[in-house]
Amino acid sequence: MSTLTLANKNKRFRGQNQFEPEALYSLRKESWNCFNDLDMPHRANHLWRYTDPKVLLANNPSELMKITPSLPDQTEYNLISLDEAFSGYGYNRSDYMTFAKLTPALEKSGVIFKDLLSATRENEDIVGKYLGNLIGSDFGKFEAMNLALWNTGLFLYVPDNINIELPIRLQRHPSGPNTFHRLLVVVGNNSKVTLIDDYSGECRKEEAQINSVVEIFAGDSSSVKYLNTQRYSSKCNSYITQRTRINKDAKSVSVFAGLGGNVSKTNAGTVLDGPGANSQLYGIVFGDDNQHFDYHIVHHHTSSNSYSNIDFKTVLKDNANSASTGLIRVEEDALNCEAFQVNRNLLLNEGAKAESIPELEILCDQVQCSHGATISPIDKEMLFYLMSRGVAYKDAVNIITLGFIEPTIKNFPGELETLTRELITGKMEG
Amino acid sequence: MANKNRILSVNDLHVEVEGKEIVKGVSLQINSGEKHAIMGKNGSGKSSLAYALSGHPNYKITSGTVEMGGQDLLEMDATERSLAGLFLGFQYPMTIPGVTVVNFLRAALRARNGNGIDMKNFRKVFKEKMKLLKIDNSFATRYINDGFSGGEKKRLEILQMVMLQPKVAILDETDSGLDIDALKIVANGIVDSAPKDGGVILVTHYQRLLDYIKPDKVHIMLDGRIVKTGGPELALELEAEGYNKLEAKESQKVGV
Ligand SMILES: Nc1ncnc2c1ncn2[C@@H]1O[C@H](COP(=O)(O)OP(=O)(O)OP(=O)(O)O)[C@@H](O)[C@H]1O
Ligand SMILES: [Mg+2]
Repeated sequence: MSTLTLANKNKRFRGQNQFEPEALYSLRKESWNCFNDLDMPHRANHLWRYTDPKVLLANNPSELMKITPSLPDQTEYNLISLDEAFSGYGYNRSDYMTFAKLTPALEKSGVIFKDLLSATRENEDIVGKYLGNLIGSDFGKFEAMNLALWNTGLFLYVPDNINIELPIRLQRHPSGPNTFHRLLVVVGNNSKVTLIDDYSGECRKEEAQINSVVEIFAGDSSSVKYLNTQRYSSKCNSYITQRTRINKDAKSVSVFAGLGGNVSKTNAGTVLDGPGANSQLYGIVFGDDNQHFDYHIVHHHTSSNSYSNIDFKTVLKDNANSASTGLIRVEEDALNCEAFQVNRNLLLNEGAKAESIPELEILCDQVQCSHGATISPIDKEMLFYLMSRGVAYKDAVNIITLGFIEPTIKNFPGELETLTRELITGKMEG
Repeated sequence: MANKNRILSVNDLHVEVEGKEIVKGVSLQINSGEKHAIMGKNGSGKSSLAYALSGHPNYKITSGTVEMGGQDLLEMDATERSLAGLFLGFQYPMTIPGVTVVNFLRAALRARNGNGIDMKNFRKVFKEKMKLLKIDNSFATRYINDGFSGGEKKRLEILQMVMLQPKVAILDETDSGLDIDALKIVANGIVDSAPKDGGVILVTHYQRLLDYIKPDKVHIMLDGRIVKTGGPELALELEAEGYNKLEAKESQKVGV
């Protein structure tokens, strides 16, 4: 299996380049060694039971290490005009150059939003403390690879007591055959922010791999909304790892809309790390054609009196298939937590396949917990009911499908609700 | 030559469910403006007949013909039958999660391409009809039958009928589950809204509904067949005597 991995073993990391500070370079190098030391994930490992890791692993990592981000071009930066519906806008170009811009008012308030490379140079105090702290090189082989090789990155820092009303929009595109995105977000106490993290674009080569890591740290009583949309073209294979850590009385709403790509694996979740922490996680996957989706959703309660809820829906058409595993872990000393999860799957035709596995690791005995999973084809009696009112078969299927996701999608923050609805309607008609 | 007044003509209809014959040769002629009641014991095949007429794919018609307004219904799927003017009020209405009553009715009316209520007046008409049937406005934005009580579901069926303005309405036990006041409201709704030149089939177990809606004919179904047809008095007779006498007669005929 691992001819590639073996061949790359003992491959030394490249030398430090002109842009990267010493700390960043040594972190990358150390992660590179971890990446090489770690075995390819075994298919028997539950996280990899549904997706072949080889499909997601770049096949020339030692070439990729030569691709390093460069600092953003000032001329282009000056030309970026912000849509007034957003507080900030960040994106990466196909040559790995990354840009980030905020409204002038926010910039004055101390909020920092910039490409991650610049941040490692200019904000080392914050970046050094958080980068790789939630998703480090010990997280897994793919995560170690990301920390070693990220080639387009973004950084957002929101000081205490700042309420950012309008969302910040990130547009992330594949850059070349292998893109390693990295996003680091640090939100201070009593602050509020909404991020729309939108992955889209064409992959130029067959089976291009995208590897993205998102780390979000949310302070006491803060509120963070993280909205992840994946709508790649049909040749992209992507692997996204995301964690939010929320402190005391902080609130997190995470939304995942999985619509595009070929093979898409996502490992997302929230660590509830303070009393009163509250995490809501919603997901909608709509797969068609031969798409493969693998979502692993995690709520990790490390603190007492924290509350979490997962509501995840999957609709599959044609020969699409999906696996959803939802893990609730409650630590031994995390008392009086509430953790709920529901995963429902709707199969629109016979070729479509879904698996749904709720996982519970409850180490304490004072907890309120529930989980539910269903996989079912479209209900024939519902179809007949609608058709008996004059609705055509195809429209009836669409009405039932939209109805299926409605109770979930209506919890999406407005910005994303409209977008997701449009994308799904588009896919249903396609 | 076909009777010009005939709105629905069912001839020797046989229906199979899961390989078993349930409707065993039913004929029914309804002229425009008529209301017919079908009564009969539990399991005698009334709902199966209604489903088969409406085009439910599980209810296979093995022989017989059905014409509505000169059109061959059996050539059509459920959608087409509805668009041609047939309506089925379900004995057990389905719950459709996530689909609001108002959006659903809008979709159903839109499918009619302007046949029926003008979409511009949709809201106004919808509100009027809800008021007529004493359905609270809040039901408009609730999911179809989701958490509705038995009686509320039946009222929603009639609301749909009233909105869709069918030529022929088959109302399968619309009266069961309704309280005394609701029965009156729904019955009045049916009387008011049934098209004057259309037809109504009321499937019911009780005389109560027929006190409000006087049927032109009453049919009694037993074991997949209509065994007796008469005027409104037949329902009263049945109420007084039950099915025993009829059943005894039937078994004599068949020689069981
Ligand atoms: N989908 C089905 N699968 C199996 N059997 C069925 C099905 N539908 C109807 N039947 C059977 O056909 C017979 C007639 O049922 P039907 O519902 O038509 O009776 P009904 O006259 O409407 O009774 P009720 O007065 O109780 O509503 C019953 O024995 C019933 O069990
Ligand atoms: Mg019945």
